[in-house]
Amino acid sequence: MSRTIKRTGRSKTPPAEAKRSRPATAAVERVIREETPGSHLPAGATRMPGPPPASPDKRGKYVYCIVRADEALRFGPIGFGTPPGEVYTVLYEDIAAVVSDAPIEVLDATRENVLAHERVNETVMRYQTVIPMSFGTVFKTRDDIVELLRGAHSAFQDVLAKMENKVEFGLKVLWDRDAMIRQIEHDDEDIRRLKSEIATQKGSTYFARVQYGRLVDGALQSRSEQYVSEIFEALRDVCVASRANKPIGDKMIMNAAFLVERDRENAFDARVKALGGKYDSLTFRYTGPWPPYNFVNIRLKLERAK
Amino acid sequence: MPVERTTGGSSLIDVLDRVLDKGIVIDAWVRVSLVGIDLITVEARVVVASIDTYLKYSEAVGSVGSVSKPAALSTGDGRASESVLAENANLRAQLAATGRARRRRPAAAKTP
Repeated sequence: MSRTIKRTGRSKTPPAEAKRSRPATAAVERVIREETPGSHLPAGATRMPGPPPASPDKRGKYVYCIVRADEALRFGPIGFGTPPGEVYTVLYEDIAAVVSDAPIEVLDATRENVLAHERVNETVMRYQTVIPMSFGTVFKTRDDIVELLRGAHSAFQDVLAKMENKVEFGLKVLWDRDAMIRQIEHDDEDIRRLKSEIATQKGSTYFARVQYGRLVDGALQSRSEQYVSEIFEALRDVCVASRANKPIGDKMIMNAAFLVERDRENAFDARVKALGGKYDSLTFRYTGPWPPYNFVNIRLKLERAK
Repeated sequence: MPVERTTGGSSLIDVLDRVLDKGIVIDAWVRVSLVGIDLITVEARVVVASIDTYLKYSEAVGSVGSVSKPAALSTGDGRASESVLAENANLRAQLAATGRARRRRPAAAKTP
């Protein structure tokens, strides 16, 4: 089995990179992250103390995430727009919203906008723990954001403490369903017999086919459950928490997110790669580190002030 | 089989899967109404409606739903969510009432 190790800096050409690293067949290549700190950050990314840039009053503020901060910070020109907007913080006590100026309008979830949102989150999380904001929240003024931070202060504090030094990884596991059916036919005597009956029988094969379908479905189901529970079990002690999301399509048997301590990242990584070596017939799609999107759900609503 | 690992932002599908309804979420209708209103002057404010962190290890697929909220709540406006909440309260009251009725019945059954 040949293994390809490819180093890639994600800030270069993400779309092309994504295409190349996602072959259509079950054959996959390993893409590992450039380990030099900061080398994959977008151009101009930085983190330093600094006042917000002077901005015209008519602009709104787009919020990317919430962080802990003791002073005003700037992260460089990595936000929305052309040229990319300056990303900075709006501070309230010891927490801050990471924002950039944006037009006061509903922001479309275009490819560029969504990737910019994620790019800022990924940049900030290189330096500190973030609670990611979902896409598309624009506040009219800086004061509105301060009000939000004040109102939700204890909730944000609590979640920031829980997520401290933790990052999320995504793991999708796919199989080749047809190959798995062939395997099942090979392994299971009943199914094999039914199949040959269907092939040779002269009269109606309706009931044999129904029975065959039922047995194959059941066998697929139990194999998939077996794989999934083995994989979860193998990763249990290298992560803090996990969430199983619904698999998408009939090739995917597992669609999970794992919350991992930063200093256990290498252990988690090694474990996932070992799983890849163990299960030859499965394809592992492994992404991260992400901000802990799957492990935080804070819903905000609008309320009349008293 | 070797494992492919990509950093988060390089797959649009994985990004969309996360950023649209996970993390800190402001309901769509609030998001829209935030645009252009001055919260301070209309005397409205953004408050936390609910907060959840998921720090458990789950194994069973499907036993934990996705974090996205029920369709009825995500369809848009606050009235939809209010009506669901009202229905919820109503059902809870009914449930409590049946619970009381059932507790009474076994006691009555003891004296035939």
